[in-house]
Parts: sequence; structure tokens; C-alpha cells
Amino acid sequence: MIQKKICMLGAFAVGKTSFVKQYVTGIFSEKYHTTVGVKIDKKMVEIDGQPITLILWDLHGEDEFQKIRASYLRGSSGYLLVVDGTRQKTIAVVEDLHRMAQEILGEVPFVLVINKADLSEQWEIQKDAAERFRARGWMVIEGSAKTGEGVEQAFSQLTKSMVDD
Amino acid sequence: MIDDRSLLTGLIEALHVLVLQRMKDSQSFRLIGSIPEWFRMFTGTPHVTEAEVQVYLQRPFLEHFLTEAHEFWDTHTFGQLASGLWAEQGQDGHDVQFEADAVAKDGVKLLLIQRVGSGNFGLQAVLQTARESGLQHHHALSEHKQVQQVLGGKLEQSERLRDDLVMILDRLQIGTIMTDEEGRVTFLSRVAQELLSMTEQAVAGQPWSDIQAFSESDTLSLQKMLLRAINERLKVPVMLELGKGRRVSLEIDVQEDPRNTQRTIFFLYDVTEVQGLRGLLTEKSRFFDLVGKSSVMTEVYRRIQDIAPVDATVLIQGETGTGKELVARALHQAGPRKDGPFIAVNCAGLTDSLLGSQLFGHKRGAFTGASHDHQGFFEAANTGTLFLDEIGDMPLSIQTTLLRVLQEKEITRLGESHPRKVDVRVVTATHQNLEELVKTREFRSDLLYRVRVARLYLPALRDRREDISLLAEIFFGQSRTATKKFDVQEISTEAMQALIKYRWPGNVRELRSALDYALIHCRGSTLQPSDLPPECLTHSDVLTLMGIHSGLDEKGQIFAALKRAKGKRAEAARLLGMSRSTLYRRLESLGLPSKG
Repeated sequence: MIQKKICMLGAFAVGKTSFVKQYVTGIFSEKYHTTVGVKIDKKMVEIDGQPITLILWDLHGEDEFQKIRASYLRGSSGYLLVVDGTRQKTIAVVEDLHRMAQEILGEVPFVLVINKADLSEQWEIQKDAAERFRARGWMVIEGSAKTGEGVEQAFSQLTKSMVDD
Repeated sequence: MIDDRSLLTGLIEALHVLVLQRMKDSQSFRLIGSIPEWFRMFTGTPHVTEAEVQVYLQRPFLEHFLTEAHEFWDTHTFGQLASGLWAEQGQDGHDVQFEADAVAKDGVKLLLIQRVGSGNFGLQAVLQTARESGLQHHHALSEHKQVQQVLGGKLEQSERLRDDLVMILDRLQIGTIMTDEEGRVTFLSRVAQELLSMTEQAVAGQPWSDIQAFSESDTLSLQKMLLRAINERLKVPVMLELGKGRRVSLEIDVQEDPRNTQRTIFFLYDVTEVQGLRGLLTEKSRFFDLVGKSSVMTEVYRRIQDIAPVDATVLIQGETGTGKELVARALHQAGPRKDGPFIAVNCAGLTDSLLGSQLFGHKRGAFTGASHDHQGFFEAANTGTLFLDEIGDMPLSIQTTLLRVLQEKEITRLGESHPRKVDVRVVTATHQNLEELVKTREFRSDLLYRVRVARLYLPALRDRREDISLLAEIFFGQSRTATKKFDVQEISTEAMQALIKYRWPGNVRELRSALDYALIHCRGSTLQPSDLPPECLTHSDVLTLMGIHSGLDEKGQIFAALKRAKGKRAEAARLLGMSRSTLYRRLESLGLPSKG
């Protein structure tokens, strides 16, 4: 069985844990629980008839209290960068994390998720932000861990890229 | 003595730590001490073997950490490497947190795995609180920004609207002055600055009543208007004297700021041009001091212009109060003698000797009391015009003398024998029918023929009703100034209708008196029919005015009038258009008390 490690990267409270939970269990909780350390989940998927076990490393949010240990990224086949559409500042955090991931992992597939599409009227992130990232060659998905919008798509696109990589 | 090994085993059990020692082959681990209870619960295995522990080590996080740990053990003989916290889902479905340490001590390589218990919850709680606070702060900031944007937008919209309004007002040439609650000027529009010939800086923060362009009486009128209820306010006419002969006529509308009734907005309407045009129109409706644009008056003006240049004697006929003296003055002013004197003499009510003396003069001692020589009106009017009003009342003896004067163009003073040449144009006037007086021998026919060489007939006011409103407005303005009742702004339509309908037996003179009377009685800002003299109103007008149904009988009408006059009989009589004595008589005839 092929196993692929995927790291969830982003600022705190952008919805990494919720995104994973929605993907793995289909459940969403309104209550915010901060992640301390790393939370490991597994998800079996099939790509082109090939079963793959995704090991999802939900890393704690990066902020002034907790910094991501570079070693956590080692062995990742890809990563999801998650930003909160309602907080402009979370973009800068994923830009930093993306640089760190590139230093450690080199060029591996990644997907940028602009989360909280269900609160799009409160978005601080400009509507053309996705286009600007796509222009840089990034895979960008606007989604919502709450409604499930874009969740499956984000993981499946990333997984497919990882398998093709 | 306590055995070291048993002490270590006891400690491991007490700390609930899974302790594994890396074997020399570097791939397998040996369990030291016992397997902690949490391990059994987590794996759901009641009887855990060492082999199952080895399988546990292949779980993703530990497998990842062991890669680091082996590197560490291979390069360190002493030290510790922490894995950091991780969480995995236990058999019961709940997440369980762990932490692992790779320890090296004198060649011994230990792997310590412990379940993170309540001791770590405090750290998690602090992080949770810190991050929730961060989120709340962010949301509060976002809301603040949104509110700021909304308010900013509204403020901008409001300012744009204000600018648009000011621009529109400026385009309409309407000046605007705004004040705060204390009456201090907060805004002076561009047009207002131009009209008042002052800058906003010069007046900003000052009480509006200190605006120097307004005269004291204008300021007073505006202050009075401010005291009125908003629905009773009228535009205040203001004349600005701005120096160098520049005059600006304004009408100022005093309004409250709808958002704060304590603030005032003055709207300044420049009516200088309108006034100028009105003046031009008035000029067209005037001829010297005569007023009227009716066809009959236009004909009068035309005849005056015809008669004025020639030196013929003129007879002006017309009812009393029609303005005969004004016509005489117009004839004088429009003729070649305008630079000479104009003397007006009323021939009525004077004895022949007195009138003769006044007209022709006398010599000292001519009669008792003639203490010095006296020049008569003929001599005084030399090179000018002598206006003999009410010539029909002139005594016959004087008529004879006058006839001779008119023929000979010379007068002889009483008590003198030599005549004196006079160069006088004689204009006469009467309200009587002189031909009838000739028939009754009260007027000399030869004098009649002599004085009516040129004739002018002045129409009664009732025969030129279209001039009444014009005359009324002029007299209203004059009376307003004379009575200083500047609060009275206008004549109501109803009052004007009453004036137009009235017969005016006293003609223009009576109209003027009626306006004086009305101004004196008027208490409001608009002259109402009830302010007019009672004779100007028809009986039905009076009843309508009082709100009395005209179907009421006389007793009912009198009661209604008394009620409206609050029992004051004089006022009730006025309202009913009858004299006080008439009212008393009616009251007595109706068996009602006329006093008290």
C-alpha cells in the first residue's frame, strides 16, 4: 500500500483541523479548538484504481506562540497551504511557510486553500487574490470546511499531483 | 537500602512512562519496567506483549521521530531529543496526546514515551485563550473597519450631498447662512458672501445678528421672524446698502435646520432685479404722482400730456378723492412752467373777502387787520401754476374778479387802484356739476366757459377697479413704513378681494385711509379682511369672516358677533359693519341688554 504524507500548513485558526476533519469524517464543528503539536489522521483514497493511504499531518498553526518544527515536514509528499479568507494577514504566514517547505522538501506539489468561502461577504482577501496566485503557477481552491466546498477537490488534486510527481 | 533496579521500576510505573531501550542491532527495542496502563487503553489490548510495542513504534509520528532519534543516538553519547507533542486517535475515538524523548546516557539509548496528561491542558488552555483573544481582536477590528467604512461612506455621501446642495443653491443664486445652536455663523455660502460683501472668515463664529450688512431694523425683523412658529414664517424683505451706491434687495427665508431645530438656516434670495423690474412696471403704471394702468387712467395721462404744453385754463372734474390736485401738479410738471411755483388754493369754506385777499393780495390798511402789504396767490404763482380747487364753491363776487383776471392777465390788490400783470396758468377743479350750478345761478356761465377751455375728467375708483390692487400695494407699503409695522408682510387674497369689491365712494383718498386703518388694526403678519374698515366689507363678507352662517337671523348674527368679539360691543359692531349706536338700538329692539 502506498502511503503519502501530507502536511497542513497555515496560520492559527485558518481551519486546517476542520478541513482535515471534514475530509476524513465529513463532520464540522463550529467550536474552535487550537491544535497543540501535531495531529495525525489517515485517509484511504484511490487514484486511478490505485489505493493510497494519506497520512495527514495537521500541524499546529504558526504564530508567535508556536513555530513549526522543520523536521515535521520531512518526508511529506505534498502540503496544503491554508489561509482564512476573512483575515488578510494569514496570506503572509503561508508565504513564509511555503518558503520553508520549499527549502526542506524542494519542489513538491502543494495546493493553496482559501478557506471560509461560506463567509465570503466578510473576506478581507481581495476577490482577485486567487487569480494572482494562479498566475504564479499555484493550484488555488476557494473552499469551506464548514460546507465542505472544495475540500475533496483540494485533497484529490494534491494527491493526484503527488502520484504524478 | 532500596534496590536501585526496583526503585527505577517503581519510578517508571509511577510516572506512567513507556521506557524502551534501543538494542545494539539498532533496530529493536527492549521494554524496561512495565507497560503503562494508558498504553493498554490506547491500543485496546488488555495483555500487551513486547511484540505489540514494536508494532506501536511503527505508527506514523513515532516512526518519523525514530528516524531523528536514531540519528541523535548515533551521534550523541549524552543528551536528550524531544519529539514535541502529537495526537492520535485512540480506540475509543478520542484523541490522545503523547510526547516522546530520545535519551542518551553513557552508551545507553532510551526511548521514553508518555501520554500527556492534565499537566499539559494548562498550556493548551493558555494557547486556546490567547488565540481566541487574537481572533476576537481581529473580528472587533474588522467590524470597526466595516463601521468606519460605512460611516466614512455616509459622511462622504453626506458631504457630497451638502456640496451638491450648496452648488445648486449657488447656481440658483440663493445665499445660505447656517448657524449653530448659539446663533453663531457656521457656514456662509459663496453667494451669501457675494450678496453680503463679506468673507466667511470674517463672520464665522460670530453671532449672525452681528452681520454688519444688515441694518438694525432688518436684524430686528429677522429676530422677530425667528420667534414665530415655523409654519407662520414669511420671507423678510431686507435692503442692503453696500456703499458706493450699491443696493441689494433681499428676501430672507428663516428656516430651522431639520436635523437640529436649534440651528438656523437663512436663505437669501436676491430680488434686486425683480424689484428693478417691478419698479419699471410701476413706472409704466404711473404718471408723475398718479397711479393706475387702467385704460381710463392711460387716457387721462394722454390728455395731460396734450394739455400740459399749452397755456389754456383747465377744468378738472371728478368725485372727491379721485386725485384732482395730483392731476393739476402733473399738468404743471409736464408743462413749460414746471420750474415756476405751483400754488394750490381750496376755494371752499372761505368768505369772499378772505378768499379775495388771499387770491389777489391787499394793501396795508385795506381792511381792519391788514397791517402790511400782502401778495396774493396770483402774484405768488407768477410764472407758475395756480390751482383753484373746489371752484364750484367760489363766491360769485370772486368769480367776477377771477374772470377779469383770466381775461386781462392782471390783478389788482385790495386797496390798490393800479393793476399788476401776472403770468399765471390757472388750473381749476371741482367735484360739482358746474353746468347745474350755472342753472341755479351759483356759478357764472362766462367763467365756466373761460375755465373749461381744456377739460379733464377723473374717473371714480370704482370705475377703474383694475387699479385697486396696484394702489392698495403702494399704500400698504407707505402705511407699513408710516406705522412702522414691518411685521405685516402682505395683504391676504381675501382682503384684496374685499378692497376690489368695495364701491369706494371716497375714491383713492378713502382707499389710502382704509389701508392706514387696516395696518393699525392688523396683529398678524398678513393683513386680513377683518383688519379692514367695516364699511369695506359686505354683510356676507362679515358673516363669512366671522364664520357665521349667513342663514342666521339677525339675532343669531349679533350673538355670533358678540361671541367672536368676546362681549365687546364696539368690536362686535365693527365686525357687523354697523356703528355702535346702531348695534345698541338693534339690541334694544331685540329685547337684549345693550350695556354690560
